Amino acid sequence: MTEVVRFENVGLRYGLGPEVLQDITFSLTAGSFHFLIGPSGAGKSSLLRLMYLAHRQTRGFISLFGQDTYQLPREKLPQIRRRIGVMFQDFRLLPHLSAFDNVALPLRVAGIRESEVKRHVEELLVWVALENHMDVRPPTLSGGQQQRVAIARAVISRPKILYADEPTGNVDDRIAARLMHLFDELNKLGTTVVIATHNESIVSKFKRPVLKIDSGRLEIIRQKEELHKLIKTGSNLTSNFSDQNGASK
Amino acid sequence: MRFGQSNLAFEKDDSNRFLPWLIAFMALLAALSVAGFLVLEQISANFEYNSQDSMTVQIPTGENSKADEKNAHKIQMTLRKMEGVLEAKRISHAEIRKLLQPWLGGAIGSEAIPLPQIFDVRINRDSTLTARKLVDTLTLIIPGTTVDDHSLWITSLVDTLQSAELIALVIVFLIILATIGTVIFTTRTGMGIHKQTIEVLHFVGAHDSFIARQFAIKAFLVGLQGGIGGVLLATPILYISEYILKHLEAGLLPKANLNITIWLGVSLVVPIVAIVAMITAQSTVMKTLKKMV
Repeated sequence: MTEVVRFENVGLRYGLGPEVLQDITFSLTAGSFHFLIGPSGAGKSSLLRLMYLAHRQTRGFISLFGQDTYQLPREKLPQIRRRIGVMFQDFRLLPHLSAFDNVALPLRVAGIRESEVKRHVEELLVWVALENHMDVRPPTLSGGQQQRVAIARAVISRPKILYADEPTGNVDDRIAARLMHLFDELNKLGTTVVIATHNESIVSKFKRPVLKIDSGRLEIIRQKEELHKLIKTGSNLTSNFSDQNGASK
Repeated sequence: MRFGQSNLAFEKDDSNRFLPWLIAFMALLAALSVAGFLVLEQISANFEYNSQDSMTVQIPTGENSKADEKNAHKIQMTLRKMEGVLEAKRISHAEIRKLLQPWLGGAIGSEAIPLPQIFDVRINRDSTLTARKLVDTLTLIIPGTTVDDHSLWITSLVDTLQSAELIALVIVFLIILATIGTVIFTTRTGMGIHKQTIEVLHFVGAHDSFIARQFAIKAFLVGLQGGIGGVLLATPILYISEYILKHLEAGLLPKANLNITIWLGVSLVVPIVAIVAMITAQSTVMKTLKKMV
């Protein structure tokens, strides 16, 4: 299987502070689906930021789609970023643009023709049940509606990798389940999916391999059954297990 | 998305609210300086064209008018034959009286104030003829004849005018620098205000040039707006200045008028300001973004 993400002994520190990520080593194959879990402040967001090229590592090696991100010239970064969809915890929608324009953004920066943009965006907004809110600006949308706009923006350009940071954080269980099915569908179409979450019920229900981060260190929980047991006993997911489902350490 | 509509909410950006006014003020100063430069250029060119090649020959008054005529004839004949003299025009007493009227009033023309014979001589500066040579030749014919070489004082006057032109150009240059500084400052402030939007644009795969273009288009439109405002403000000031200059009793200076060249120069301030603002914003954003991941 093709590796789309590879981290080797990666460390990250902000300024002169302590390392927030230490010796992170893992790889993700194309079409895999992982949860990223860990307590608040453990480094989940920092790891995601490295994965979607918002930061450069302090040490170690990161490769995305087979390219060393540290050596990559700045002008090549957009090409890599266009193959990555990111759904932020706080959505990061542009408040002065309509739902339509927010979703259209990745296509417009890629220089897609406006007629194509219109067709794809309308189709996707219908799919996330926002066809009646296309011209509405995010501040007047509900939390759930904003989240759907954010998801639509993350997937509009058919990314090869999709990162979602707490996608079920602001929605009820019914919508959370629907969102997870959406991610599952995208994964079946070949998109590599990484979902950072605190929602243990989703992690146990979907039985996918887990990247667990704690105090800046990463463990890969591979065996679904063990993970199940772990959640049932109310443990805080600290053990280390092994399985061969998409992630390797 | 229409042209000029941006992914960045510039309309909510306070740093952009006062920028058109600042640019309008600088465009006003630039327009006045450009007009000043072109007017001075026009005056000095007129001076050089009309007076650079001329000398004035003055023959002292003779015993009577008959002697005056005879002397004048002799000088005129000599001048016509001299190498380097292109034209020797005798100034009539009527013209001399008119020229002296402001200083001597009604007394002019009376026997109490005799008038000299004057010749306006146009010479070829490429020839070997000099004022010294001319005076040496002419005093042999009529002792006491004097020659006034205009080029001596015109050269220093034109030098003074050209220094003033240089000052006007330096002022234009300083205004451009101030415009660049203002645009750099407001662009950087704008980038701080729109930091999150810029981050989002990067995450969705925007090139730095895509982001820079949005700031550049905005700066161009603001520059255009400010430039037009500044030139419109400069127009009545220039008309008033022209009116004052025309009615100034400065007979020595050639008249200057607001011709098409001057209006063209002043109008060029608008696109130049807009283009300078656009290029400055573009390069500022590109340089600042390079420091980001």
